[in-house]
Order: sequence, then C-alpha cells, then structure tokens
Amino acid sequence: MEDYKFLFKVVLVGNAGVGKTCLVRRFTQGLFPPGQGATIGVDFMIKTVEVEGEKIKLQIWDTAGQERFRSITQSYYRSAHALILVYDISCQPTFDCLPDWLREIQEYANSKVLKILVGNKTDRDDREIPTQIGEEFAKQHDMYFLETSAKEAENVERLFYEIAAELIEQARSKEPISQHSRSTADSIGLSSLGSKANYLSQSGCCSSLSSHST
Amino acid sequence: MSMIKCCFEPVELPEFVETVVQKCTDPGCCCGCCSALRPRYKRLVDNIFPVNPEDGLVKSNMEKLTFYSLSSPEKLDRIGEYLYQKATKDINRKRYKLVEIAMEAMDLLLMACHAQTLNLFVESFLRMVQKLLEDSNPNLQIMATNSFVKFANIEEDTPSYHRRYDFFISKFSSMCHGNNENIELRDSIRLAGIKGLQGVIRKTVSDDLVENIWDRQHMEKIVPSLLFNMQNGPLTATEDATPTSPPVLAEAVLRELVSRASFGHIRSVLKPLLTHLDRHELWVPNQFAIHTFRIVMISIQPQYSYTVVETLMQHLDSNIKSSPHTRTSLAVVLSKIIAIAAGESVGPSALDIINNLLTHLRTSVSSMKEVSPEESQYQEALINALGEFANHHPDYQKIEIMLFIMNTVPDLSKKGKGDQMLQNILLKSLLKVGTQYRTASFEKAFPASFLQPLLKMARAPHVPTRIIVMQIFQALLDRHQNQGILSNVTVKNYPTLSLESASRSDIIFTHKYGANIMQALIEGMALSDRIDPLASSYNTAALMIVEMACSETVQEFILFILGIQELATTSNDLGSYHKCNLHSIAISLLMLLGRVTGINNIIEYAQKIIDARKEEAPYFLPPMLDSKKTTQKYSTNLPHLMIDKVTLTECLQNAGMDSGRVQTGNPYSLSQTDNPAHRTSWVEVSSMPSRPSATDLSIYTDADSVNSSPGVLKKTLAPELNFDAMKRALAEPTESAKKEAREKQMQIVRTFRESNFDDLVRRTEPKHELIQNRLNELFNSLASERQITQTETKNTTTQKPVYENNFPELFYY
Ligand SMILES: Nc1nc2c(ncn2[C@@H]2O[C@H](COP(=O)(O)OP(=O)(O)OP(=O)(O)O)[C@@H](O)[C@H]2O)c(=O)[nH]1
Ligand SMILES: [Mg+2]
Repeated sequence: MEDYKFLFKVVLVGNAGVGKTCLVRRFTQGLFPPGQGATIGVDFMIKTVEVEGEKIKLQIWDTAGQERFRSITQSYYRSAHALILVYDISCQPTFDCLPDWLREIQEYANSKVLKILVGNKTDRDDREIPTQIGEEFAKQHDMYFLETSAKEAENVERLFYEIAAELIEQARSKEPISQHSRSTADSIGLSSLGSKANYLSQSGCCSSLSSHST
Repeated sequence: MSMIKCCFEPVELPEFVETVVQKCTDPGCCCGCCSALRPRYKRLVDNIFPVNPEDGLVKSNMEKLTFYSLSSPEKLDRIGEYLYQKATKDINRKRYKLVEIAMEAMDLLLMACHAQTLNLFVESFLRMVQKLLEDSNPNLQIMATNSFVKFANIEEDTPSYHRRYDFFISKFSSMCHGNNENIELRDSIRLAGIKGLQGVIRKTVSDDLVENIWDRQHMEKIVPSLLFNMQNGPLTATEDATPTSPPVLAEAVLRELVSRASFGHIRSVLKPLLTHLDRHELWVPNQFAIHTFRIVMISIQPQYSYTVVETLMQHLDSNIKSSPHTRTSLAVVLSKIIAIAAGESVGPSALDIINNLLTHLRTSVSSMKEVSPEESQYQEALINALGEFANHHPDYQKIEIMLFIMNTVPDLSKKGKGDQMLQNILLKSLLKVGTQYRTASFEKAFPASFLQPLLKMARAPHVPTRIIVMQIFQALLDRHQNQGILSNVTVKNYPTLSLESASRSDIIFTHKYGANIMQALIEGMALSDRIDPLASSYNTAALMIVEMACSETVQEFILFILGIQELATTSNDLGSYHKCNLHSIAISLLMLLGRVTGINNIIEYAQKIIDARKEEAPYFLPPMLDSKKTTQKYSTNLPHLMIDKVTLTECLQNAGMDSGRVQTGNPYSLSQTDNPAHRTSWVEVSSMPSRPSATDLSIYTDADSVNSSPGVLKKTLAPELNFDAMKRALAEPTESAKKEAREKQMQIVRTFRESNFDDLVRRTEPKHELIQNRLNELFNSLASERQITQTETKNTTTQKPVYENNFPELFYY
C-alpha cells in the first residue's frame, strides 16, 4: 500500500545563479530563501502533490549550475521524467547557454524526457530576454515554456503542477498498451513520455507548446 | 485521511481469536474500539512504542515481537509493512522520536531474521529507509543510512533481482555533497552519504545479476562523490582503523571500490575519475591527482594496473591541445604511477607504453617550432616517466627498452631542426633508461644492434647529441660509480677511484667491440675543439680504461692514446687549441692507463713527459683550453714532448709484457680520407674502423661496410684502399699467428666475423626475439606516421641486408 499513485523524477538544470534552488524551495517549503548559496553537487527534495484527485510524489533533483559539478549532475539526467531548464530573464548569458544545455540533455537524458524551459526572475525590472524570445526558443526545441518568479511565487506552483499533470496524462495514455510493454519499461518507470501532442490543449497553462513535429 | 484509513483496514480474522481486551498503547492510534479487532502482529508492533516517545523502544515488547517474527516468519512482510505505515504517519506528523523507534525495531528484526525469510522483510525495510532518506530532516537521513549500512552487511543467499538501488545511489551521492552551514552536521551528512555508497557497493558488487553498480550512471555519481570528499582532505596516506572524517572514509571506499573492479570495470571507475579531475581542475597542481592515482594503483588488482597507465595515457592523448602545464602535470602523474605498473607489464604491453610515451615526445617536438620552457618541462616529465618505467623492469628488459628507443631515433641524414631536437629528446630518454641500468656485463649492456647506431651517433655533427651519446656510454660503462670523478680531465691521481680487475668477459668484449668504440671516440674528438664535448669523450675513454684495461688489453688502449696524439699532430684542419686539448687528453689517459694497469714504467714515462711539458708547454696539459677565452698563439710542433710509441713498447717489454701489438699495429686514425665533409656526415662514415686487426673484429662486416672499406675486410685490394690499410691487411695474418694465447678468443671472434649480422644479433641477444614481432608491428605503425624521403630510402637499400629480417621498416624514418 503506497501513499502515492505516481512517482515522478524532476531534474532542474541551468546556469549557476538562475534561481533553480529558489524555485524548488519556494515550491517545497513555500519560502524564498535569503542569501541562497550555490548548490554543491545535487540537492534533493520531495513533495507530494494532488492532481485530479491522485497523489503524486515528485522527487526533485536540484543540480548545481557550476561547471565543475557538471560531470556528476549529468548522471542525474538519465532517470528524469521531466527536465526543467532554467535561465534568468535578466541575464542574457544564461539564455545564450541554452543550446549547450540542450546538447547535454540530448546526450545524457532519456530522449523522451519532458522538457520545460523556464525563464525565472520575472519580478526583476532589468529584463534582457523578452518573453517572446524565450517562447520561440522553446517552440523550436520542442519544450514547454513558462516564466516564473521564485521571489514573488509567480507560476512556481503552476510549473510543478503542470509537470505533474502532463506526466500523469502521459502515464495514462500508455496504460492500455502497458499490458504487453510493461516488461520493457526502462528504469525511469515510464517507458514512453514522448507523445505529448494530445495534452497540449488540456494543459493550457503552459504558455507555449511546441508542435512536436520532430 | 490516514486515520480513517486505519479504521477501515481489512481485519485479518485468524488473529482475531486471541485478542480480547488488549488496549492500544499507541497514543496516536485512532480509536480504542478497533484495537480489540486488531491482528496480533499489529498489537505486538504497537506495543513496542512507549507512551512517552522519549522513553524509547519498549525492550521487553520488542523481544516479544522478535520472538513472534521468528516463530511466524510468514508474518514478517506484514509486520514490515505495518511498521512502515506507522513511520510514514509519524514522519508526516513530525514525530521523529517515534520514527526512530520504528526504524530501530526494523533494524532489530532485520538482524534477527534468518536468511531464508529475509526477503519477505527487506522490501518494507528498504522502503522505510527510503522514506527516511526522502525527508529533509538530516537526522532522519543519517539514521536511515545507518540502517541501510546494517542491511548492506547482511549476506543474503537469494539475491533479489528486482530490487533497485538507483534512488539510494542518487541520494547518498547527493548527501556526499552535503552543504549544511553547520560544519559538524555537514560532515555527518557527508559521512553518512559515503557510508551509504559503501553499503550499496558491498551489496551489489559481488553479484552482477543485481543492479550493476559498474554502470556508467552509477559510477558517474559514486566516483565524483568520493573524490569530492577526498579532495578536501589530507594528501598523506592515512591508515586510520576507524575512518572518522569524510575524506578519510571516502578514500577507504575508493580503495574498496577499485579493489573490487574486475578488468571490464576498471574503465568505468577511471573515466569518471579523470573527468572529475578535469572538471575540478585538479591537474595543476597535481598533488591530488598523484594521490588519487597512487590509491588506484595500490588498490587495483595488480594484473590490471597496466590498464590504469594505458587509460592515463589515453587521457594525455585527449589533452594534446591542453596547456603544457596540464600535460606536464599529467605526465608527472604518469611517471609517479608507472613504476607500480612496471612490475606487472611485461613484453608487448611494456613496449606499448614506451611507444606511447615516445609518440607523445615526438608529437611535442614536432608541434613546436621553438620549444617553450613549459613545453620542455613537459618533455622532461615524459622522459622521467619513461625512466621510471624502465627503472622497474629487470635489466634484460631495460636493454630491450633501450634498443627499442634507439630504433625510434630518427636517422642522421635528417637536416631538420625538429628532427635534431627529436633525436636529442629520444637520446635523453635513452640516457634516462641507461642510467637506471646496472651493467654487469658489457656484452649484455651493448648488444650489437644497440651499439651500432649508438656509435654512429657518437660521430654526430651536433655537439649536444654527441654529449648525450657519451653520457649514455658513460652510464652503461660505469660499473663502479667513477663517472663523476673521471669527468675531470687531469694527469693527477684520482684518489677516490674505485677499481676492480677486468673479468674474462670484459676482455672478450674489449677485443670484440673496444676498438669500435675507441674509433668512434677519436672521430668524435676530431669534430670540435670545445671543452664540453672533449671532456665528455675523455670521460667515456677514461671509464673504458678503468673498466677494461688490464695486461691483455693495455696495448689496444696505448694505440688508442697514440691515435689521439696522432690526430693532434697530423691533422691539418684542427686549430691549435683543439690540438692542445687533444694532447692534454692523451697524456691524461696515458697516466690513467698506467695507474689502472699498475705498469709503473708507463707511469714513470708519462710523468717524465708531464714534467717536461710543465716546463716548456703547459698548454699540453690539463686543464683544457677554451678557444673562446684564449687568444694566445701556441706552438704545437714539439715532437720531443710527444708520447713516443717506441718508448711505450719498451715500457711494456721492461715490465715483462707482450708488446707486439703496439709494435706492429698502427695508432688509431680517422677512418676516411681526411675530408671533413665526409667525416661529419653520418651516412658516409663507416661505423667500422678502417684498421682491422686480429683483435679488431668489426661486427659490421656485412652490414654497412659496402661503401666504406669492403676491400679491407675481404682482403681484396679495393681501389680506395690507402697505404695504412694495406699495411695492416698484410700484417694481420702474422699478427694472429703470433698470438697463440688468444687462440681461444679467436674462435669466438671468428664466429663473429663469419656469421652474418642477423645471426650475430640473435646470438648475442637471445631474449631479443621474444619482442621481435611486436617491434616489427610497432615500427610499421611508426613508419607509416613519418614521411619517407628519397635520401632515406636510398640509405635503406644499402643497409637492408642487416635489418630486412628484423626491422624491415626501421630505416624509413
Ligand atoms: N529577483 C529574483 N532573484 C532570484 C529569483 N530566484 C533566485 N533569485 C536570486 O538568484 C540568486 C541565485 O539563486 P539560486 O536559487 O541559488 O540559483 P541556482 O540556480 O540554484 O544556482 P546554483 O545552485 O549555483 O546552480 C540568489 O541570490 C537568489 O536570491 C527570483 O525569482 N527573483
Ligand atoms: Mg542551486
């Protein structure tokens, strides 16, 4: 007897200082930590949410953005059901690095992993990346898109709930066929996370969705 | 919600009968009403919890629960599940004390379980551990880890294939990076993380069917986590019995991990290890890298240590574009661990390593037009690695290594600066190896195939090259640590010289090859008037005298000394300082020869000359003159101050010794007509002395005498044969007839003369063949890397007979 219906692993990546840890702490503890220090290695948090009456356990792995930890953080991508790629809307270089991050994800993560692009720190008035630019980038690269502020608690809950909802849909959508494919399900528990197209309209909250043509 | 749930749990009827008025002691329990209906195992579990959580586990009730579990093992899974459910509730309510009690109870049950029933319980046990690990409370995490470690130390006889450790590895690795601002707590968390990883390793490593710990996704977490902790620790080896700090424990776990790695798994450990060192920039400075690799080398199963070296070399390959600092650091690490691998890598793998090092040297040389100090440090580090490596091989293999290196030294016809540099670098590596070699017998130290190219290079036009070659000779000749003492050219006594009379085999060697070496020395001395190379030649000659001179060989040395003098007196191309220096060398060597052989007549005669020169021409005595510092004009035509061959013959006769060889033989001279262009060209100059005699048995007979003086050896008068050579050719038969005492040696000698070179090489170096195929293979690959030029190909054809069997491609570069 479990105390949850689904367990999903969510991994946050992105340059150092973009606010990954703040997002997680806002979500799991409901606070914006003052003077949050850089993450060392990988941090772990758990949060159980209820979506559509189902208890969902989210295992959240918050990786360090610093280069030197790259080798260990990459090893956490593989088992992720969802990858949250974060940049700082007030810091162009964190946006410019996105292609590098995508390459890493491509190399180390499951190819069907759910990818969400997050532009954090919307509360700041020195924005460098317009929403539309972020949105377009997400569309191009087959990612969901959302802008957040960990500080103002904006879109943070929504981010994680949407991920949970999307992952549930995906999990359910493959249930009918799971009778014969279960045995081949890989270590991430859900063998196929690829076909998101059907759920785009349902998860209307995510402000931008790609066409999944690729 | 959970409270309600508890009430609606299906009741297990069989238990029902026994229960009558048992009250629920758990204050958290929802309602007394259902307790009467509770199955017995639940009541037993409930009873282990005290009314006041601070009182801790109710021991007596725990005993009851344990007893019950042992007598009804089929209930274990339900007991486990129930404890888990209770703990989950308590965690949610943050009643940590009760959680602790539940965990403790599970630990105790786990310990009490018999192996065959364990599986029933383990699943809920592990879920409990995971549950605690998931909580943000560090104390729960630490507690859970301790429980996990207990579990890990239990031997299960039936592995559970479906059990997964993903989460544990991920979480423990995360804990290894614990970053709590409270340092003490931080260290406890890190320690727990490391212990947890150790537990997973112990649990899974022996059984490939369970989670494969060696998988990349796991190793890429475990290895960096251990290193991250180690890099903050002391770099001195710590052999703590009970590791108490994260760095110390992490090191111990790394040792354990590495020691369990089988061949196929070594790279799984090494790859993340190298990546970590890269990412955390731990190559420069490299203390930590050295420390880590030492640990790996010491812990690894010895037969695999070679793989570590190989992997490190590959890493060096991939760092080819990195700064010289990084490469130097890498090479230094290599040199520090290579020795450990040396004992285990024999034959082909040893040559692979050497070949790889040489390739790096070659790359370094060719990539640079001008060598920066950093780059030469790198080269130095590579050479040291090579030396270290060779140092830990038995001597016969050192010879093979030297031979191998020698064969990669580019041919002399190369004019390019790069090749000259490469040549020197390779010779330096050769010297490094040579220095490590402890010569016992010269025969073994100088196999023909090694000596020949060495002698060629002893005549190299480039001064530094000649000096290195001399140093190689010195390293291999010097069996009694006299090299330093004899580096000083003097006619005075060397008081600290250590002497041992020449052995039979030394004498044979001297007869066989001594003349060849001395010939090369003379030709080398003719090339430059600079003090350094001359002193270096002197040093070599002096060592030969110290090691080889005795009544049987003294005459050969006398002819050699007279040859040096003759060079000074007869050569027209030499400057006056050069001549003076040659005279200094000749008289110094003569004095040394007298002392070493103990022939007082020679000492007295030499002393007489010295005294006379002191009066009249002190510039004919050491110290040698530096042409750059002196401008004075010296008269060099002073026949009465010369060493006189006839007087020396008398000296020998008066000492009751044989003097026939000195009487009839000619002093050594330059091998070709005195054409300086010829002399300085490596290709044209024969390695064979032009003065064959009974004792002068060139091993190069069929080798490269083709265009030098074939007639002499075949005793046919070739047109280019000069008068001296003719005289010698005629003198030869009488010479040998006279020396009946040498008959036995002659037999050996004849063997050498009549066999072709291949046979000789085979005969002199029987072990050589073992690696021959490998050499061929490597040379082939080397050769294809290098460009082939017309002139070189030409050389190949003339030398082909010698090498075609053994080193077909050898001379293509
Ligand atoms: N204004 C504003 N500042 C934020 C926000 N989120 C994070 N920050 C600040 O950004 C800085 C970095 O935040 P972190 O959460 O530590 O960043 P991180 O991505 O976890 O960084 P690493 O752990 O080094 O990879 C901190 O000073 C935060 O206070 C936000 O939404 N708005
Ligand atoms: Mg962080």
